[in-house]
Amino acid sequence: MADELYLENIDEFVTDQNRVVTYKWLSFTLGVHVNQAKQMLYDYVERKRKENSGAQLHVTYLVAGNLLQNGHVCHKVAVVREDKLEVKSRLSSLASVHVYSIQKALLKDSSPLYNTDYDIVKTNLQHCSKFSAIRCAAAVARPPPEAPPAPPPGAQGQREPGASTANGHGPAAARAPPQQRGIAGMFAARAAPRDTPRDGRAEPRDAPGVSAASSKPPTKNSIMNNFFGKAAMNKLKANSVPEQPKEEKEAVKPSVAVAEPESSPSSVAEKPGKKAESAGIQQKDKKSKTKRADRSDEEEERDPENVQKRRRRIKQLQSDSSDDEDVPPSPTPEEERAPSPAPAPAPKAELEPAPTEVPAAGRKRKRKRVLKSKMFIDEEEGCMVTEKVYESESCTDSEDEFCKPKAPAPHKQPLLPTRRDPKEEKKNLKKGAAPANRANKQVSIMGFFQKK
Amino acid sequence: MFSEQAAPLAQGLLAPPSAEPPTFPRVPVSGYSDCSQPFQLGERGFSRQYAHIYAVRLAGMRPGLERRARSRWGNDIALRKLSELQAGERCCVVGTLFKSMQLQPSILQEISEEHNLVPQPPLPKYIQPSDELMLEDELQRIKLEGAIDVQRLVTGTILAVYGCEQDDGKFLVEDLCFADLPPALPWNGPSSDRFVLLASGLGLGSVSGEALLSTQLLVDVVTGQLGAEGEQSCAAHITRVILAGNLLSQNTQSRDTINKAKYLTKKTQAASVEAVKMLDEILLQLCTSVPVDVMPGEFDPTNYTLPQQPLHRCMLPLASAYATLRLVTNPYQASLDGVRFLGTSGQNISDIFKYSSMDDYLEILEWTLLAGHISPTAPDTLGCYPFYKSDPFILTECPHVYFCGNAPHFQSKLLQGKEGQRVLLVTVPDFSATQTACLVNLRDLTCQPITFSGFGADSED
Repeated sequence: MADELYLENIDEFVTDQNRVVTYKWLSFTLGVHVNQAKQMLYDYVERKRKENSGAQLHVTYLVAGNLLQNGHVCHKVAVVREDKLEVKSRLSSLASVHVYSIQKALLKDSSPLYNTDYDIVKTNLQHCSKFSAIRCAAAVARPPPEAPPAPPPGAQGQREPGASTANGHGPAAARAPPQQRGIAGMFAARAAPRDTPRDGRAEPRDAPGVSAASSKPPTKNSIMNNFFGKAAMNKLKANSVPEQPKEEKEAVKPSVAVAEPESSPSSVAEKPGKKAESAGIQQKDKKSKTKRADRSDEEEERDPENVQKRRRRIKQLQSDSSDDEDVPPSPTPEEERAPSPAPAPAPKAELEPAPTEVPAAGRKRKRKRVLKSKMFIDEEEGCMVTEKVYESESCTDSEDEFCKPKAPAPHKQPLLPTRRDPKEEKKNLKKGAAPANRANKQVSIMGFFQKK
Repeated sequence: MFSEQAAPLAQGLLAPPSAEPPTFPRVPVSGYSDCSQPFQLGERGFSRQYAHIYAVRLAGMRPGLERRARSRWGNDIALRKLSELQAGERCCVVGTLFKSMQLQPSILQEISEEHNLVPQPPLPKYIQPSDELMLEDELQRIKLEGAIDVQRLVTGTILAVYGCEQDDGKFLVEDLCFADLPPALPWNGPSSDRFVLLASGLGLGSVSGEALLSTQLLVDVVTGQLGAEGEQSCAAHITRVILAGNLLSQNTQSRDTINKAKYLTKKTQAASVEAVKMLDEILLQLCTSVPVDVMPGEFDPTNYTLPQQPLHRCMLPLASAYATLRLVTNPYQASLDGVRFLGTSGQNISDIFKYSSMDDYLEILEWTLLAGHISPTAPDTLGCYPFYKSDPFILTECPHVYFCGNAPHFQSKLLQGKEGQRVLLVTVPDFSATQTACLVNLRDLTCQPITFSGFGADSED
């Protein structure tokens, strides 16, 4: 019977896994109310003791009540071992007693209880009051801080209401523009060259901006990782259909409708991860706009090839401008992935255009990762320090420094710098949390001799 | 009082699982308003001298004291400034007290090379029989003698003394009076039981972990995880939690990285970083269930001088996502459900403790209320911002609950004033040492301590 399942579970936890099973741990593990967990533990203890009185089972209880202490009535809450349970008779009035935990071994002190509770709460921090007996209506999470602002097209503000329900919050007009601004800026670059070969419509930027904004919360990593995967592309196709109807909400219908099919594939290609999320949430709405759906079908067919084209274009451009020594014409996803794990504070706008090889509006610039050695004199230490850092260098020769996080501490360089540097470089990479990078970048020994 | 209603259901959870267990809604927040604007500093400038704060303090409290003096010693007494004193004339003077103490740590003496002094180690009390009291007003000062308890009083108190000047230039005091309780605030308290939990001195980041289970038990009781149904429904009546300072332990204050070699301390993190992360997790658990007000204390990462500014919310990323978290100043004043709370994290009381013969924190707390000033020893021995427009520590209205944090033990007293004031004085104990917090019932202004304990190798109740 399903009800008895918990007994077996508890049995397994206590005897087989030799765990300390506290009521809180059980509540989170089985997903039940804390009071039910306490009752389950009690039930298990009773049954186990009934069937096998010599069972190796130690129980701790929680006892709470009033106690006269120092002249005032003090409310005492204590975790006691079973053998000390008679202390509850010392209380002038008992408020509650229930099982706190069950474990196989006799506990010397209460630190295992604390550790168990701490661990399970740590893994469930986001909904730590889910199984509690008290619900607070006032405890609502504030919306997360917005992206860096950039001037938005008006349409985006209107679309934001639909998108933001993904977050479960009412849309704020003020919120909408900042979100879209950041994304719009990014996509303005992306969408423009894509659209110019096709239609030269400027509108599409709105849609990608919004849909991107709506799905901003998801991590950029997933976006980057899914960037060019074929499987991701298929997923995107599926998503773009509901995306489009969703995106048409407000006034700017006709032009935007036209723009949308184009834009959504492009935006879809650019932010697959985000799309997946918001699409998943918004799929139900407004399938009635069949016209657009049809159009979107057409677009989708062209979609992969456009993306391919774009990808190929990117690749070519990449190989043209890449540095001979450090950056082999590796597949662009690796490139894209590299910047994404870069520290979040680095403006997203900066990172987004970086992987998008399509130039940003008005700026014809490509960036690539270049391993450079920087040498400088550290006055306070009185030594010369060499650091190998990845710099994002643009092929227009205006250098961009430190897209990649560099190792925080400069390392001293007394002897054998060559040996040190690969280590440092490894450290750099690790700190930047970009494991994808390493596979493709072979540090050439010439790099050591290059900068003087 | 907290658990009487809980008694019938006490053993309810010693039973097999029942049907859907009840969930209790937290009593909603009604009538909260933050009144601590005077303690919030905007732009701060430290180029001013501290003389101004004494001047505004005296100017601010003089009218009230003159009124008190008249009501106490008669309407026709002579109120004189020190410059107008005549020998032998019985009059009343209003001024600021200054206690000159030999043992008072003086930075000038410490750094003076001609004295060749080793810096004095911190003492629990700096009082000595040879201390002297002076009365200062805007222009002059005079030594006080007579019916005045030199040991008990501290520098910075504004008071009115009644006596006459002697031939040797000292003032012989016959009687003295303080500002007494400020005027009462109207009472708008709730009609049903509403509780506020006061806790201070969580002391996270300390080396010992004994208090950690107690802290977890505290969080669990408040969030309704612990206890039988009756207790949980009582806990749902806790409308607010106020953490009065010292969330971090004193151990996190060590700055030995300054003395160590740089290569040893390159990658080390300050102890407070880890402690603040722990604090963030604890606050997150609390905030998902109850409104929390967090006051900074002596060992918390905020400014040192009073009034301490709120902790910055960037240190608490998880918890500050919730609207229920409020980071507030120290001292803190707010009106909860029509009941006015005023309290500090205890630096003012412990400073007076060091420079006065009073030993009982509750007595000192009551004395500050009667003296009409939250922290008279600031800026003399306690760091304070150089106010010059007005002194925000002067008590202008009588709060309903007046508390101080980080006291050695729990004490509470209901004070009745002559003009109908009713104040509940609470000394909130240091949680890391006593594992005790306080529950204030807003309905009838009573307070109950609540203690948590685990079991150790030597367990006894």
